[in-house]
Amino acid sequence: MTTATRASTPAGLEAADSRRPSTLTLAILIIAVIGLGDASYLTYVHYNGLQGLICLGAHHGHSSCETVQSSVYSKLDGVPVALLGLIGYVALLLSLLVRGELGRAAGFGVTLIGFGFSAYLTYREIFTIKAICEWCVGSAVCLTVLLILTGVRFLRSDPLPA
Amino acid sequence: MASRKEQKEQARARRLAEEQAAVAHAARRRRMQMLGGVVLAAVVVIAVAIAISSGGSSGSSGPVTGAKATATEKLVDNELAGIPQSGTTLGNPKAPITMVYFGDLECPVCAAFTTGADDGGLPQLIDNQVKQGKVKVEYRSFCTATCNDESQSVFNTQQVAAYAAGLQDRFWNYAELFYHEQGAEGSGYVTPTFLDNLASQVPGLSISKWQTDRQDPDLLSQVESDEATAVKDGLTGTPTVIAEGPKGSDPAQEGIPPYSELVSMINTVQ
Repeated sequence: MTTATRASTPAGLEAADSRRPSTLTLAILIIAVIGLGDASYLTYVHYNGLQGLICLGAHHGHSSCETVQSSVYSKLDGVPVALLGLIGYVALLLSLLVRGELGRAAGFGVTLIGFGFSAYLTYREIFTIKAICEWCVGSAVCLTVLLILTGVRFLRSDPLPA
Repeated sequence: MASRKEQKEQARARRLAEEQAAVAHAARRRRMQMLGGVVLAAVVVIAVAIAISSGGSSGSSGPVTGAKATATEKLVDNELAGIPQSGTTLGNPKAPITMVYFGDLECPVCAAFTTGADDGGLPQLIDNQVKQGKVKVEYRSFCTATCNDESQSVFNTQQVAAYAAGLQDRFWNYAELFYHEQGAEGSGYVTPTFLDNLASQVPGLSISKWQTDRQDPDLLSQVESDEATAVKDGLTGTPTVIAEGPKGSDPAQEGIPPYSELVSMINTVQ
């Protein structure tokens, strides 16, 4: 019994290690949660009035975030982009639960979509609306870092089946 | 010289290495294909999202027609039905409280305040106070978004167009339609066609009189006078709402005042 237990210990430790998230996955998790908080706040404010929106910038006497959040670009076919961002972050977090190449590819794909659309919205903020919303910039930064991390995670993973 | 057994082992090791390399190569190829697929799918989704977003923003760059225009007209008509208008004033001229509203027709935050989006309080104020004859709203022009993104000349043209509708007591119909059908800030959507189309949506407006009135120099003077007042009073943004009543005036409120804030301002001055 004792011998059997001792003999199985290294394999058991290995299995435990493989279940433990890597540093890369942990970093993705943390940044995705920050992004989720950001998107949740903007979604909450969208549905509960922009008056409570905390913002550093000013634009025509009101906050620059109000300008951005009340612009036509704040909605995509009637759906607040903040809500779409929230859904995207949840999808990324769920992809971390899917093991294997499929989960990593899904995580990278979701992040790439978020990054691309966020880049477009940032362009609109700077060149069309001419006002910056710090919360949107925060999400754009999160998505940029997440794109790198999920890309590395996808490309670095062991392609060989276990 | 290697023995026969060693040669066999070497050959086996070579074969194994080649097999492993082939498996790794196939796996790499599969992953690259997957990467290509993911990138392609993401690009398609982003392109569709941008097309919808850009379409939405340019949707107001031309005349709004069809069901959308009809729905907006109906909404504005219902909101203003039965409320007296005179020039840029909405409501009973004898109402004890006046809400002075400094706005820019291209300002998206003014649009939110006027249409009730993002909890903007004007529609509720109209329903609960203006219709009862307790409060009247006076609109004044202050160039903010338009001057930032376009020019004073564009601002004067659009504000005068609305004031010209005011000469037929339909300023508020015109201004509300403008805010409802506003395009993206700075996109240059305010064209002569856009202004004409708004006029055509105002019920009972004589278009020929409106066109003539737009040349009236007094209307331009009124816009300029509004601006001068805003600058003199130290206003910095739009919408700015000031309550005036028997007890004086409540300081300017900027941002998107919700209805509760407007009520509190009214209570202060009445």
